[in-house]
Amino acid sequence: MLGLSLISILLSESRTLDPAQNLSLTVTAPVQTGLHDLADPVDDFLQGVFNRGDLKRENQALREELERLQGQVAAGEDAERRLAELEEALNFTQSRSEDTFVAADVIAPDPSPLKHAIAIDRGSRDGLDEGMVVLSRSGSLVGTVFRVYDDFAWLRLITDTNSAVSALVLPGDAKEAAARGVVAGDLNGRLSLEMLPSGAKVTEGDLVTTSGLGGNYPSSLLLGTVTSIEERPQAVFTKATLEPAADLGALDTVLVMTSFLPVRLAGP
Amino acid sequence: MKYLVAVTGIFLAIAFAGGLSPYVRVLGVAPDAMLIFVACWAALRGEREAMLLVPAAGLLKDLATTDPVGTSILALSPIVFLLMLRELRPAESDFVPALLIVSAASLAYGLITMAVLAAAGDGVPFVPSLLRVVLPSMLVNPLFASVVYPLLKRLNPAPRRQHFGVGSAVQL
Repeated sequence: MLGLSLISILLSESRTLDPAQNLSLTVTAPVQTGLHDLADPVDDFLQGVFNRGDLKRENQALREELERLQGQVAAGEDAERRLAELEEALNFTQSRSEDTFVAADVIAPDPSPLKHAIAIDRGSRDGLDEGMVVLSRSGSLVGTVFRVYDDFAWLRLITDTNSAVSALVLPGDAKEAAARGVVAGDLNGRLSLEMLPSGAKVTEGDLVTTSGLGGNYPSSLLLGTVTSIEERPQAVFTKATLEPAADLGALDTVLVMTSFLPVRLAGP
Repeated sequence: MKYLVAVTGIFLAIAFAGGLSPYVRVLGVAPDAMLIFVACWAALRGEREAMLLVPAAGLLKDLATTDPVGTSILALSPIVFLLMLRELRPAESDFVPALLIVSAASLAYGLITMAVLAAAGDGVPFVPSLLRVVLPSMLVNPLFASVVYPLLKRLNPAPRRQHFGVGSAVQL
């Protein structure tokens, strides 16, 4: 048994067993998706039964949030016009219209409690490669492709303990400089913002985006919002906790950015 | 027939782990359906069947996850050795040893998986993983095994043992 497992591990690491893993996902994924689809409404129902009071309060809060956002949209339209003028003036074209994406359905999560990974129904035949960046439908960062088969791929979510993304904290006051840090995942599926300089001005509610440093992620992709800050006296760095912008536990469709290649794939 | 039941059980355990485990969390961890099934089956049916079931289950599990194939075969293999607990018969019932096997197998599974992942370059934070995942699973898996084991026993009773000795009838 020991010999079998060691040989299997060696074959797996040399990617010899990829076709078998591709076949295995082909067989198990529909059943897992079916069970997930069955469990979802049951879970929603039970959540509703046990959290009726919370739902009422949440509904009220959402109405207020909607009202506030509508106000912001009105103000935003004005700001957008102003921004367009500034962009034109600076000859600055920042757009992702030239980027190409491959839409993929999430078919299964990795059941290992030590990892945060999901399988999608697109693979190397669709142009996917390891290291490609994956976004949610609304454009916030979800993770990266880390293993590709012919028809499927595994994504490492940003909440995985092996994920580290160079990030920028956008301050509420535009006059202040944006602080740089590293967003890392933990075993509980939370995001923490680490390596922030201790003097950095970070407040709850600040938006955090990718900085683009290191070349593994494009810049300006939304990661999440600062929910708490942990400041320790005499510590060199400050730590903050983030709420991911994408609902990583309920992803059904994701977008793989095929036009952006990380430094490793882009080559010299 | 029994192997058909075993393979069906393995397949269902894999599907459960991927499809339903996010909804079933106790102490912050989901039960490991595969480990519970294999450990309960082994406790019920003995070493010979465990020697066949462990590699089959481990292989099928790894093919459907991101772990290197072979990790789960290695991590589940202590179950075969843990069956000695059953032979020691620390309690009159076979139920308690089965739960002890599941609990000890959970610890061994977690430690071996972390070691293999570390060796494969997939860094796993050792202490947090031990405290937040492995140790809670030593309680959560036996909790679910306490439901699975009686069910399996009803569906698939243990093979009869042969008793020889003065005053005892030979049972075949």
